[in-house]
Order: sequence, then C-alpha cells, then structure tokens
Amino acid sequence: VSEPVSRRRFLGGLGVAGAGAGLGSAALAVRASSPAVGSVAASTATSVPTGPAARVDFHGAHQAGIATPAQDRLAFAAFDVTTSDPRELRDLLTDWTRASVAMTRALPVPGDSTSTVAPPADTGEALGLSPAALTVTLGLGPSLFDQRFGLAARRPAALQTLPALPGDALDPTRSSGDLAIQACADDPQVAFHVIRNLARIGSGRVALRWSQLGFGRTSSTTREQVTPRNLMGFKDGTRNLVADDPAAMAQHVWVDAGDQPWMRGGSYLVARRIRMLLEAWDRDPLGHQERVFGRSKSSGAPLTGHTEHDVPDLSAVDAAGQPVIDAQAHIRLAGSEHNGGVALLRRGYSYTDGIDATGLLDAGLFFLSYQRDPAQFITVQRTLGRLDALNEYVEHQGSGVWACPPGLPDDSRTWADHLLG
Amino acid sequence: VRSLPRPALVLPLGLLVALAGCGTPSSEASADGVRTVTITMTDDACTAEPSSVPAGATTFAVRNTSAARVTEAEVLQDGRILGEKENLTPGLSGSFTLRLTAGAYVLACPNAATERSAFTVTAAAGSSTGSPAAERDLTKAVTAYQAYLVEQTTTLTASTRTFVAAVKAGQVDRARALYPRTRAPYERIEPVAESFGELDPRIDARENDVDPGTPWTGFHRVEQALWAGGDRATTFTPTQAAQIGPVADQLLADVLDLQQRVRSVTLTPEQIAGGAVGLMDEVARSKISGEEERYSRTDLWDFAANLAGARQALDVLRPALRTDHADLLARIDAQLADVQASLATYRTRAGYQDYTVVTDAERRTLTTQVNALAESLSQVAPLVAAS
Repeated sequence: VSEPVSRRRFLGGLGVAGAGAGLGSAALAVRASSPAVGSVAASTATSVPTGPAARVDFHGAHQAGIATPAQDRLAFAAFDVTTSDPRELRDLLTDWTRASVAMTRALPVPGDSTSTVAPPADTGEALGLSPAALTVTLGLGPSLFDQRFGLAARRPAALQTLPALPGDALDPTRSSGDLAIQACADDPQVAFHVIRNLARIGSGRVALRWSQLGFGRTSSTTREQVTPRNLMGFKDGTRNLVADDPAAMAQHVWVDAGDQPWMRGGSYLVARRIRMLLEAWDRDPLGHQERVFGRSKSSGAPLTGHTEHDVPDLSAVDAAGQPVIDAQAHIRLAGSEHNGGVALLRRGYSYTDGIDATGLLDAGLFFLSYQRDPAQFITVQRTLGRLDALNEYVEHQGSGVWACPPGLPDDSRTWADHLLG
Repeated sequence: VRSLPRPALVLPLGLLVALAGCGTPSSEASADGVRTVTITMTDDACTAEPSSVPAGATTFAVRNTSAARVTEAEVLQDGRILGEKENLTPGLSGSFTLRLTAGAYVLACPNAATERSAFTVTAAAGSSTGSPAAERDLTKAVTAYQAYLVEQTTTLTASTRTFVAAVKAGQVDRARALYPRTRAPYERIEPVAESFGELDPRIDARENDVDPGTPWTGFHRVEQALWAGGDRATTFTPTQAAQIGPVADQLLADVLDLQQRVRSVTLTPEQIAGGAVGLMDEVARSKISGEEERYSRTDLWDFAANLAGARQALDVLRPALRTDHADLLARIDAQLADVQASLATYRTRAGYQDYTVVTDAERRTLTTQVNALAESLSQVAPLVAAS
C-alpha cells in the first residue's frame, strides 16, 4: 500500500490567509480578503479561502459546509441504510469519515489504489484536481432513529418527517433517506467524486435512494458574496442570514441546549426539490414577474427601494392606495417580519435534469436550508405554500429533513462517535 | 452477449506476461511474480527453457518456428492435461499460465518424434506467492474451475443438440420450453465464452448488437423466431422454417466450437474471481434491465444461471480464502444468500416466472443486492493473485 499522494501539491509560498478572529469563530468561515490561498491549519483557521486551490478544513466546532461560504457546485445524495447491524452502521460512518477527510485534503480515499489486480480504492476522477474548497456534510434522517439500530432514545424531538405542507407534490423516490451527504466544491467533478466514492464504500451497507446535482449557488452565505440569480432571473435570498454574523447564526442556525446533547453545535438541514415551470414563467410579463417577487429584476432592489440591499418597505402604498410590494409577493411572505422573526440559512443550488416526459425543461431550485429547528422552515413554508404568488410557477417535488451533528475536532473522532461510539 | 464486452478477462493477462518475457527466456519472476518458460516446438521434440522452475504462477510461452507436424503443446501431471496451446502452425506463438506446485510434470507435443519430456517444479524458495498450503488450494481452484468449464460446455452441447432438433422439427412449443434450460450452461460461464472474440457474438448477440451486413445468428435469433407469432403460434410459417433451420445448425456448430476451445483455456485464480464479478455485472446490466430475453421474457432463468456461475467461481476459491479472509467470505455468503432469496420469490415449479412480473421497485432492490455482492466479489482477486 502506497502513501496517499496529494491530488496536487500546493504551490510553494502560499501563506496562511486571514488573521485575527478568535478560535471560537473559526468554523464560521469568515471570508479572507485574499482568495488565492491554500490550506489553513485547523488550529489557526480563521478564514476560508475560495477558488480552485482553496482548502476548507473538515474539522471544527461545526461541520463544514454549513457556514462555509457557498461553493459553486453541489452533489447531494440521500441513502437508505440496508444493513440492520449497528456495528456495520458504525463501521460505515467511520469509513465515510476517513474518506471524507482525505477527499477534502485532495487525497485519494484510503486504501490500495496501485495494485493492478484489485479495483483501485479511489475511483480516480479527482486525481490531479485541487481541493476546490470541498466540504462534505453528513445528515441523519428521522428514519435512522427507528427500531433498527437501537437509536430511538437518541432521536431529537425536533427531528420529525416534515408534515404535509400546502402545495406539496412530493415524489417519494426524491424524498427522505436515512442518511444524507451534501458535497459542495468549486469543481463539479470534485463534488461528484465524493458521492460516487461514499456510495461505493457503503456498498452492502447503504444504497443510494436519490441524488441531485446542483450548479450556480443561489444564496450568498457571507456579506461579501454577491447575491446570485436563480433560474427565474431574480436575485432571491438577498435577506438571507449570513454566516459571518455569529450572533445570528447562534440564534437561528446552531443547536444549543436541545433535548439531545449529541446535537449541540449541530444544525437541521431541510432539502426541497423545487421544480420551476420555466416555460410558463418566461411567458410572463416583466411587470408581473417583478410583482411576484417584489423586486426589480435588473437591479434586485425591492420595489420600494433603489439598491439590492435596501430594506423593503412593506407598508408602502402607491397612488391608488395599493401596497407597492404585493400582499402575495415572495419577499413579503418569506421575510422574517412576516414569520414571527424566523430566519433560515439558505444554501441552495439551481439544477437542470434535462427535460421531462412531455418535453418541458426539468429545472429549478434545489433548496437547502439550515436552521436550529425544522419548525423554522415549516413556519415559512406554511405561509409560502398557501399564499406565495410564485406558487403558480413552482412545484415542490422532493423533500427531506436531517439532523447534522456538530463538527469533529480532529482525526481521532469519527461520525460514528456521535451515536454509536 | 452485451454491447460492451469485457474482453480482458481470460487470456490477455497471460499474453502480457508472455510478451514481457519475450527474448529473455528465464525463470526470473516478473514484477507480478509470474515466471515465464519458453517452449520451442520442432518436429523432433519440444524443448522447455528452463526445464525446471520454482513453484508458483508460470506462463508457458509457446512458439512454433518451423514444425510442420507439431501444432500443439501440453503440460500434464498424472496423465491429466493442466494447460495446452493448440493450432500453432509455423510462425505462430501463444501462451497459457498455470499455477504449479512442486512435483514432476510432463511436457507433451503430439506427433513429434519424441512426444514427451520431463518438466520439474521445485519447492518455492522464499517465494512471495504464499504458503505451500495456499498454493495448493489455488492450484486446486484452477483445476476445479477448468473442470467446471468442460462440464458446462459439455452440458451445453447436449442441451443445444436437443433444442436444435426441436426447432428444426418445427416443434415450437417444445422448443420454447427448452429454450431457457438450453442456455443456462452458457450463462453460467459467459465471461469465459466472451473471451473468444467472435464466438460470443455469434452465439448470444441480440439484434441491436449486430453490425449491418452481418447476419444475426445464435440463441436470440432463434428466440425471436420462436416467440415472433405471440405465445399462441405453435408452428413456424414455411418462410420462418426455411430461415431458422440454418441458424439452428450454425448455433450447434458454434457451441461445439466453444466446447473445443474451452479445453485449452487456462485461467488464473484472479481471473476466476474476476469472472464472478463479470457475471454479476451481467445480471445488473442486462438481466435486471430485462434486456436480454426481450421476446421470451426468460431473463430470470439467465439471472439464476449467472448467479450459479458466480457461486461456483467463489466455491473453487473458497479453500484459499477460508483461513485468512473469513470475514470477506462471510460477507459474500450473506450477500449471495440475499440475492438467492430474492430470486427464489420468482420460482415456479418449472423454473422462473415471466420477467414482466418484476416491478420497478423489485428491480431496484435486486440491483442494490447484486451491486453489493459484486462489489464484495471484486475484493477477492487481489487476495488470490500471484504477488
């Protein structure tokens, strides 16, 4: 067995970027002012660079991939556990941890990849590629806490399959899963490599239930990231929580003193596959499109403001006495003002999956949000699903909720330790 | 057959070794631990250089430079052919690889003035090929699997003879009933059959596998004719009968050809292990998809035969794995049992249900189980390889 070889040696002379912030905020992934920087030692990680050569530390107080500045690409997969042996589940989570740590360091997955008579341990498509800011984030679904593995008593009360929500058109084959893996990177091949290899490592213990690729992050998770446009052409999520606001993160995203100590420092992930009916949308007049969102399509500014980050004036009325931001506008209904102060950390991606059986574009938003309690998402979606003017153009096809445990401090611990150690 | 054959299964490894040893006939083991012995054929006799090697994997590179009467070289022990290379006319060369334990062997070249000469295998000194016991287990595995290949092709020849007779007699109902049984031995050893270039396409091609201009022959051509008129047609039309007779004859000829060729195949243990993986890949790709038996819908019979072939490959290797790799063996056995149990739910008294009863959800479960088994089987080859 040979020593693992770095996918690409970091260029010499690249220093550690960023400075200053305390250790406690290390995992909050404050964006460095200089983006072109390589690896950052865990103990001094005060910044997370981006760009192809960037490396995000796997270890930390929280799992990477939540507060990490959203990378450009997503590969997401939900798995069913097929073994009923808790020891096999424990071994799986251990194997997955080791492989994930290696992949985030741009190393091949552990094992022999040189023997000519054995299938290589690593599938190889990421050889020679840089870390690409890869993060691998694990989620545990409600179904994992049934009778199979003796975990029922460890199930957080908040972790329940989402209730039926208005406007749901869910496909069970695109929903739920005992385990979820979110792999995000600035290179799609690096992200897909994770799903492919973890599925292979899990063979005989887990089976892929569904998978989704995403491109073009649709959210900014730090103040410095520009708000991207979704496939409808709008800047959405401008008022998203930002990860470099530790107080807001603590208030809305990180689990604090829940009913299960093992979840402290973790977060709950909600995924929704939201198909956009793009042909219908593209036939819609600009004025109506803007009324649906409550924003200007070109500038992204709220209809009551001039620039993107102007706070919408929800009480403004026009000359005829009608609200400038429509009663059913997306920004009105999605805003925290309308939802009792509830806020989410959105981390979704656009997706396209070719065309459907009728020839329409199969594309939309793979919505991902992190919150300290799934009830936050439920509150917002109850409002949106019932009233949002956008509903005419979208359909929620897939859904899942997972508990994402806290981060691991170092190589001595694995994902199995949270529940099965 | 499948659209993407898996050609690297049988002979290429031996050929590679032979090429590597070309021009430097010696008993020095190559990087992968395989020694090369060069056999030169003349009308007087065959000579092996060297004539003695240490125990372990050995490739015999056979070369006929000028012998007119001698075209075949064999390695025997106790009167049994362990490996051979046939049909080497002047100018041709070939090779086969054997895993040999210490002992006396015979090198034979039929029709030479001196047909037989001695060949000696000494105890491996500091060999990296494992313990003598493990070597013995692997040698037995190779011999046992060769016997299995011979047995299955013999069965295939007999069953094909009966099937072809029914087809040519126009006994459509009888031929339909015979069809899945007739093919089963072929499906059990399919990866080996696929190593013979054009033979597998001739025997097992589906219509879309055939290049335009090449006649479509083999089992599936007959299958199409048998089921073409729907399940209720009990006779061929005169046109069908005229077309299918020659196809049936050719099928029997090709199966006989396969039976002959299999006799001279020598597999290494890792190739046997690879064959088991190949069989499960076959199941996942062309049986569970329902693509193989598109007219007869007898895909589950093929599934069962592929699985039996994989099990046989594992069973011959089992003694070599039992001591040091009991965990892997236990996992594979459990996964085999899972697949077997799922398959058993489709059993009928006569065989297996029509494939159309298998739902999409069931196909998914079958695929998950088969992939898990194949992934585990893929870990066997490096454990039994000469290294």
